[in-house]
Amino acid sequence: MKSVSLSFAAAVTALVLTACGGAAASRVGGGRIVAVGAENQYANVISQIGGRYVAVTAIEHSPNADPHSFEASPSIAQTVAAARLIVQNGLGYDTFMDRIESGSASRSRRVIVVQHLLGLPDSTANPHLWYMPRTMPALARELAAELSAIAPAHRAYFAANARRFESSLEPFQRALVRFARRYPHTQVAVTEPLADYLLRAAGAVLATPFALQADVMNGVDPAPQAIAYQNELLARHRVAVLVYNQQVTDTLTASFLAQARSGHVPVVGFYETMPEPGYDYQSWMLAEVNALERAVADHVSTERLR
Amino acid sequence: MGQVLRAIVEPGFFASGLVQRAALIGALVAVVAACVGVFTVLRGQSFAGEALGDIGAAGGSSAYLAGVAPLWGFVAIAVAAAGAIELIGVRHARAAFRDLATGIVLGFGFGLAALFLYLGTIEQSTSGEPVTILFGDVFLLDSSLLPLVAGFGAVALALVLVLYRPLLLASVSGELAAARGLPVRALGALYLLALALAVALAAVTIGAILSTALLVGPAATALQLTRRPSHAIAAAAALGVAAVWLGILAAWDSYYWPPLHHGWPVSFFVVTFVLIGYIGARLWSRRSGGG
Repeated sequence: MKSVSLSFAAAVTALVLTACGGAAASRVGGGRIVAVGAENQYANVISQIGGRYVAVTAIEHSPNADPHSFEASPSIAQTVAAARLIVQNGLGYDTFMDRIESGSASRSRRVIVVQHLLGLPDSTANPHLWYMPRTMPALARELAAELSAIAPAHRAYFAANARRFESSLEPFQRALVRFARRYPHTQVAVTEPLADYLLRAAGAVLATPFALQADVMNGVDPAPQAIAYQNELLARHRVAVLVYNQQVTDTLTASFLAQARSGHVPVVGFYETMPEPGYDYQSWMLAEVNALERAVADHVSTERLR
Repeated sequence: MGQVLRAIVEPGFFASGLVQRAALIGALVAVVAACVGVFTVLRGQSFAGEALGDIGAAGGSSAYLAGVAPLWGFVAIAVAAAGAIELIGVRHARAAFRDLATGIVLGFGFGLAALFLYLGTIEQSTSGEPVTILFGDVFLLDSSLLPLVAGFGAVALALVLVLYRPLLLASVSGELAAARGLPVRALGALYLLALALAVALAAVTIGAILSTALLVGPAATALQLTRRPSHAIAAAAALGVAAVWLGILAAWDSYYWPPLHHGWPVSFFVVTFVLIGYIGARLWSRRSGGG
């Protein structure tokens, strides 16, 4: 099922990009630089920087699937084998990419591992790097440099796109600063470390112990004491909002959601991959911060972004 | 006394709603599993019990896909599998063929579980669910399960108690029961229904794979201690409840153990106490010249 939907989506992506590019290309890439984003948020930034000179495929983009438990299929291996530029997260989040890449060695292929780009050690506990406000500006600059190395003729075009991308992140960054100023030290409960980087950047305090977050992320059952602690946070209204992973729910996280509702704590669903269609990275991040602000200011829950 | 208690029981244990709920549901399940389990051991059908629990994983995972409580899936598939085992194995009284039939159904059930757990993880993002389905977590049981557990448990207990005498005779000696005109096959089928319900309850409590420990462990231990079935049932129920409660206590305490300070899975402790009980009973019965 998964591989069928993925290859179908890959075909659609290629078609859409072909249509956008204007050039009627008969094969994938059509003379453009074939690039792969392991997750669709990275693919989205590649296409914003590369513009009409790249053909981008996202490996992970299903809003219903958990990338932590992804398995690669042959059609993905083909796409990766053809790619000249790859962006992946690192920190064990998308190890399937390493396996695919080692299966199709290529000297001319450039791989950007976001973990290494940010200089983070392997011991970094929270792999959800795209929620770090400094990640995508750094990636945009790196992409402009790498794409220029592959296609030097378009150096100015890539650089201009990177600058435009960085300035288009300003509404998101301003929203973070505004939230931190208006609602300083907001106590937040979470089910997973998914949005922790963004929440800290917004000045929020994570009331949920990290051990519980890590257990939920890793799919093991947390200790009853940890569950009881989280339930207390929600039942006694010690937190202003419960942030949960919209794409990963199980019995335990469902019970936290129910607990939040009965304790009248608003909930906000965050996404593991970029919700499609209708969002690019910038508008997605802005929508998440706005949802957070609505929850804290107006006690309005946002379970899914529209 | 209070000092000793504090040394054994870490803070907050008795006050925790999670513990109270787990202790109540766990005790109910342990009693049902132990009572049915005595007959399972007497009839030599431990493998069928194991198989029904494992197959239950398919039910638990499909229930999650369908968005209903896993217990419904465990019960539905265990009852269906019990029917399949009965249909395949009934014409062949030989235990070897009965085990063969059970094994074949078991293999298929595990295949289904693999499919449903895969779909659940990949399509519905339930990454934590396989661990819970296969290995259980009594602390994660919802209080809305209580009436269901009580209801299914009551049916299983009622079946065993109403059929107590004829079922006992048919379990110990099928020929004798048949000679007395008892409907041996119908008894066997009704007993399998009780077994399916007991296994489903055990599976939802300590996990599909470990359910058999709660079913045959306390029963086998009790039968080491006493030959009288009524005494064995009472002892098995007490042993099962003790294993579950001690397991819950140990899991709670393990949160404070170095070096992890993280908490160990409760199902591990339950089956550990079941095993300790069995070994203890073996040693005791050997020393007193029993077994």
